[in-house]
Amino acid sequence: MSWVQVAWVMMIAASLMLGVVHLFVWQKQRSQYANLLFFVLAVSAAAYGAYELARMQAETPADLAANARWSHVPLAVFVISVVGFVRLYFDAGRLWLAYTVIGVRLAALALNFLTGVNVNFREITALDHLQFWGGAVVAGPVGIPNPWAIVPQLGNLLLVVFIVDASISLWRRGGAVARRRAALVGGSLALCIVTAASVAALVVTGVVHAPTVLMPGFFIVVLAMGYELVWDLTAAAQLAAQLRASEERFRAVVEAAPSAILLVDDRGMIALANAQAETLFGYPREELIAKPVETLIPEHLRARHAEQRSAYARDARARAMGAGGELFARRKDGGRTPVEVALSPMPTERGMFVLASVVDITERRRVERMTTRQRDELAHLSRVAMLGELSGSLAHELNQPLTAILSNAQAAQRFLAQSPPRVDKLAEILTDIVKCDHRAGAVIQRLRSLLRKEDAQRHPLDPNEVVEDSLRLMRSDLLYRHVTVSTDLAEALPAVSGDRNQLQQVLLNLVINACDAMDGQEADRRLLVRTSATVHGNVEVCVADRGAGIPEANLEHMFEPFVTTKATGMGLGLAICKSIVEAHGGRLWATNNADCGATLHCELPAKRS
Amino acid sequence: MPKSLQTVYVVDDDPDVLTAIERLLQSAGLNVAAFSSPHQFLESYDRNAPGCLVLDLALPGLNGLEVQRVLEQQASELPIVFLTGRGDIAASVQAMKHGAADFLTKPIDDAALIAAIQAALARDRVLRPARLERERIAKCLAMLTGRERQVFDLVVAGRLNRQIAAELGTTEKTIKFHRGNLMRKMGVRVVADLVKLAERAAVGSTPGT
Repeated sequence: MSWVQVAWVMMIAASLMLGVVHLFVWQKQRSQYANLLFFVLAVSAAAYGAYELARMQAETPADLAANARWSHVPLAVFVISVVGFVRLYFDAGRLWLAYTVIGVRLAALALNFLTGVNVNFREITALDHLQFWGGAVVAGPVGIPNPWAIVPQLGNLLLVVFIVDASISLWRRGGAVARRRAALVGGSLALCIVTAASVAALVVTGVVHAPTVLMPGFFIVVLAMGYELVWDLTAAAQLAAQLRASEERFRAVVEAAPSAILLVDDRGMIALANAQAETLFGYPREELIAKPVETLIPEHLRARHAEQRSAYARDARARAMGAGGELFARRKDGGRTPVEVALSPMPTERGMFVLASVVDITERRRVERMTTRQRDELAHLSRVAMLGELSGSLAHELNQPLTAILSNAQAAQRFLAQSPPRVDKLAEILTDIVKCDHRAGAVIQRLRSLLRKEDAQRHPLDPNEVVEDSLRLMRSDLLYRHVTVSTDLAEALPAVSGDRNQLQQVLLNLVINACDAMDGQEADRRLLVRTSATVHGNVEVCVADRGAGIPEANLEHMFEPFVTTKATGMGLGLAICKSIVEAHGGRLWATNNADCGATLHCELPAKRS
Repeated sequence: MPKSLQTVYVVDDDPDVLTAIERLLQSAGLNVAAFSSPHQFLESYDRNAPGCLVLDLALPGLNGLEVQRVLEQQASELPIVFLTGRGDIAASVQAMKHGAADFLTKPIDDAALIAAIQAALARDRVLRPARLERERIAKCLAMLTGRERQVFDLVVAGRLNRQIAAELGTTEKTIKFHRGNLMRKMGVRVVADLVKLAERAAVGSTPGT
């Protein structure tokens, strides 16, 4: 076996091997047509190599002619796959040129079978024995050239033009990878084709007396392209490694997050859960994965949740849920945990995943409840203290109906004692007594409810009614302090949701403060209580006095605890009022009037119907 | 003066209390006029009619003490029985200083109220003629000319005609003429009556008042 045989067999085998490798690659990634084309290209190169090896060992001119003729088939396939590969892999090259190259090559293939013994020779008359380096002797054709040989040569020229043009475009596009690809693949292709075509032309025309061997050139092309494709593969592998690393980082971050985190796929299945999720929901991780996320939602909310999930998928954006305090997680033991949930969409190639971060707010709820209870207790204490201050007024409110009852009853006694007894008046007297008794009862009822220590309750309240009730309780005190109250109550006010006692307390406090502010002055002890609807649809209650006003510096501080301008008093009244109003979702603030005195404003949100 | 002609005015802004007191006083046979606001009362009461006033201390707009002051300014001597919801010492002292007849705390016992009213009516019966007399004298005094008034003051001060003439720088005859006129205008015949009248009206002893 000569070295030529060995070398050719090795090149054929290597080409086939490379080709098959990329066939496998293509099979894994069907979208990578460059790999498929490379496979076709490498196999056609190997096939051509096989023909070439056989040709070099041809024993008769007829054998050689037949061989040369059929070797044009893999050659054409090789050329066409080169064109396709360049187009696809470079994403460059003129399309019309590509079609022209393919057209000319197919034309050459047709001429190959229709004219002469092949497209290069009209006739092969003899075998030429040519000397290779190293003493190997191979067969070569001797004969009359086919005038149609110009067609494949034209095709080769166009092919080179196409490749060079595509390479230049790619080079111009810039970037290290593109330039390397243009230089290596484009350069080797162009060089090999030019060399092979020129050699073939020279041999065919008899100018040079040498064997026409194309396989080494083809093999170089296959190697260059294979090398390039391997670059892509390694790049993909690196990318995959990076992806794995980033996925691991993602998992580490999820694991380290202080809240429970669930990754839910587009079908609502849990794809990932962290240790906090295990703790919160009471499931081991492996029981969570691939479970529907609805498992973690209380039964009565499940049906609705599936709908909400698909609604969210339609309009996926990061958002928080459960700020209103109505969200609960269902634990494995069936119990419920109050939670807050933040959702953020994670688009993946497997569909829209949702990352849910779930925070256990049991402790927060407990603290909130405690704060509320403390505030209510404090409000109650301050209410009791305030009612102490108002005791004179309250006693008067009770005293009036009692006075009326006594006088009525004694009048009745006197009418009865007359002779003859006058009974005509008795009916109306008794009616009045009953009425006054109810009136006294109502005062006591109101007092008891203000004094009672109970949790704040929310009811829809008419703001004007609260104002009128409060002023009624204070009526005598206001008279006694020579304060004239006028009211300006807006009609058709929206209801507010609140605790009657607490809101009454706020109002009583504001009115008492306003009276205190005017204590020192002789005249103009006037007070205006106004209710109105704000532009935001809320309700505002204002208490305006005609006192000295509030020093600018105190407008802010006056609501802080223990800030007081009074000789007696703890300075808690306004602080408690503020906390009551804020617990009702409203705000309390003070302004000075343009002419004189100050106004305390209390804005409360209207109850949503 | 017969009882029935005396009116008991009641002013209280609380309609329940007002009606009850009105009834109680009617049951005691009193002639009652009830008002729910001090302004109504001030507009419609007849200061010449005999009676008394039962007045709530805590009234909106014009409180009891202020009503008392208005009556004082109108020179009304209507006796006032104050009613109050709270035993307010400062207010009661002030009311009494300004001549309140009584000061009662609600709820009021009928006997106490009626007794207080009877006392007030009695006081009115006594004071009213004196006031009417005073007013009559004042009206007569108002008819005197300046010179006559000067002579009046000096006569009730006990001066003789001669002394008066010297003091006023005129003749005794002129003084006699003035004196005759003013005695006629004042409706008296002897100097002793004139002096008594001046004492009753509390004028003359300090000229100019």
